[in-house]
Amino acid sequence: MTATLEVRDLTKSFGRPVIAGLNITIAPGEFYALLGPNGAGKTTTLRMIAGLLVPDAGAISICGIDVLTRPLEAKARIAWLPDEPLIYDRLTPMEYLEFVAGLWRVDPLLAKSRAEELLETFSLWPHRNERCEGFSRGMKQKCILAGALIHEPDLFILDEPLTGLDAASAHLVKSILQSRADAGAAIILTTHILDVAQNLATRIGILAGGTLRAEGTFAELGAAYGGGSLEDVFLRLTKP
Amino acid sequence: MKPAGFAWLFAHEIRLLWRGSILVRTQRHVLIPVIAVGIIFQAVALLIAWAAEKQHFSVHILMLIANVNILFLFCLMLSRAMTSAIDVLYSRGDVDFLLASPIPPSLVLAVRMIGVAAATASPWVLLGGVLANGLAVFGAPQALAVYPMIAGISLLATAAAFSLVVVLVARAGPRAARTIAHTLALVIGVFIFMLGQAPRYVPKHLMAGFWQAFMPTATNAASPLWLPGRAMLGQFGPLCICIFACAFLFCLVLAVLGKSFASGAISAAAYAHGGRPGTRTGNFRDNPFTATMLKNLRLLLRFPGLATQTVYRSLTLVPVAMILTGRIAIGAGPNVVVPLIVFLSGQLALFFISVIIGSDQSPELFAAAPVAAATGRRATYAAAGYATLTIMALPVFGILLRESGALPVLVAAMLGAMACNLALGLRFPIPLMRPDFGKAQTGTVLGLILGVSVSTAWSFAAWVLVTPNPLAFLQIS
Repeated sequence: MTATLEVRDLTKSFGRPVIAGLNITIAPGEFYALLGPNGAGKTTTLRMIAGLLVPDAGAISICGIDVLTRPLEAKARIAWLPDEPLIYDRLTPMEYLEFVAGLWRVDPLLAKSRAEELLETFSLWPHRNERCEGFSRGMKQKCILAGALIHEPDLFILDEPLTGLDAASAHLVKSILQSRADAGAAIILTTHILDVAQNLATRIGILAGGTLRAEGTFAELGAAYGGGSLEDVFLRLTKP
Repeated sequence: MKPAGFAWLFAHEIRLLWRGSILVRTQRHVLIPVIAVGIIFQAVALLIAWAAEKQHFSVHILMLIANVNILFLFCLMLSRAMTSAIDVLYSRGDVDFLLASPIPPSLVLAVRMIGVAAATASPWVLLGGVLANGLAVFGAPQALAVYPMIAGISLLATAAAFSLVVVLVARAGPRAARTIAHTLALVIGVFIFMLGQAPRYVPKHLMAGFWQAFMPTATNAASPLWLPGRAMLGQFGPLCICIFACAFLFCLVLAVLGKSFASGAISAAAYAHGGRPGTRTGNFRDNPFTATMLKNLRLLLRFPGLATQTVYRSLTLVPVAMILTGRIAIGAGPNVVVPLIVFLSGQLALFFISVIIGSDQSPELFAAAPVAAATGRRATYAAAGYATLTIMALPVFGILLRESGALPVLVAAMLGAMACNLALGLRFPIPLMRPDFGKAQTGTVLGLILGVSVSTAWSFAAWVLVTPNPLAFLQIS
């Protein structure tokens, strides 16, 4: 079976090396948590996978499509959620979804019904025609998540997706992501909330100094690196 | 720990202004075109001063001219300072941040007001200063009084603007205050422009009578009413009195408004703009170009101050309309109107594309989408071009009715000016307003300079083509 995401010998430097020889493979339906301390290169990795940054060396393929040589085809299969909820303040949530659906060429009728459903799901329906400029960070984050879900991608690339969400919304997002993974979509996310990784991820990668220090299920990591909670393992592996 | 003082905060503001400024964010060699334009301005001003020096006016006429100019300057500066004051209250998240610190609100207000006053005065220092330099070179050093007078007027206009805006926020609430202040600024600007055009549509004898009634000799030449005029003409005593009065009023406003400014800024920061809730249920399209163009048009239409800035730029159309409707006659008609329309088309196109680019808060969304970058560029050109053509349709229609022979040149030059400015604006958008806290200013001075140059070039080309004998003015009679 073709892997949804395959990263081979990925290298990137900004004057100093940020990512050095990174390898990650994610199968359909897999939920992969990429962890690491600040400045470990998580966001850089995700941005390269999303086609926003060009690697210095290495290869990335999404559903067998090379991101570097066929970027548009690869991008059609992904949803990218940045760490900052950068949304158009002067658009309404409905207009934002119209724009995203247009970019991913979602059938208008299907897009409309999905948008309505997503706005209801994220409790944004009463605010669908208000401009986002007055929204809280959590509401903006929910808008962007709705945008990421409207075209039903094969691969979700999520950079800190739970930041700013209240407990109920975070729970909702986790369950939506879990259901998408169950339906066959692959998910790669970064998070500093280790419980999320421990409870949701089927595999966890720990990145530090631009290299993958360890990778495996929570149980495998615990067994290989001295046991305890994921926090204990993480601290042991990322200690400078 | 002792909170920061005025000097520290002022240095902080200057550093922020400089780092976020259009100069630093523009290309590395931006100072070259800026200096070049400065030199050109100064050279032209020297020529004007040389010509003006040969004219001899009575002191009373000079006093009248000086007073009228001061009034014009004050009104235009007030208009600009009001929009800047709204900007300070609404657009800079760091006001909220600074007010939460132990720095006294009056200090924050003082620094912001000085910043606004400096920004308001700067274009007039460039325009008035170069002329004063020229006059000083040709034996009238008292003309240099323009510098302190412009500084004084900008302090006064800024104090008045902040008072109005802060009082409006306190009385009418943030939403209404923003609307009223923008409208007032627009009305002041348009009023002054129309007044400046008065000699073109008011009969000469009426104008002469009007000015006679206001001559110092007709009123009272010793009246304090003429102090500003005397100060502008370089009389030392009146100059000191005027500068002192402006500085005093500025300080008075600072002392009185400190607390109201803090509560106004805090309530404005807490005010959720929200916009007007609509009843739309979604208008989805599966075409990235259409979706992007629609998004761009929405961002453009919702840009705060769009109406104000578009109207300011479109004021060029007032003389155009007057010529086309036969109210005034300048030149042969098309040779004046066509270049004006071409120039305005270029400038509006550059303004609209700059707004669209400046409003694009999530360029990564497009970059991550399965759409070619060229589609995004085309959608941006299309939205800005559509907006420009919508505004320019009426004057073009006027040309079609009155001067249809000039239409091909007009259309070709308009499209040329628009295309060049759109291409330019994508790379060098013009600065629009101060960036929000934590957000970069996308505009550049270079874009502004190049835009005016490109529009002027197309305008000149159109003038050459529609003027029967463009070199006639060189012929010796």
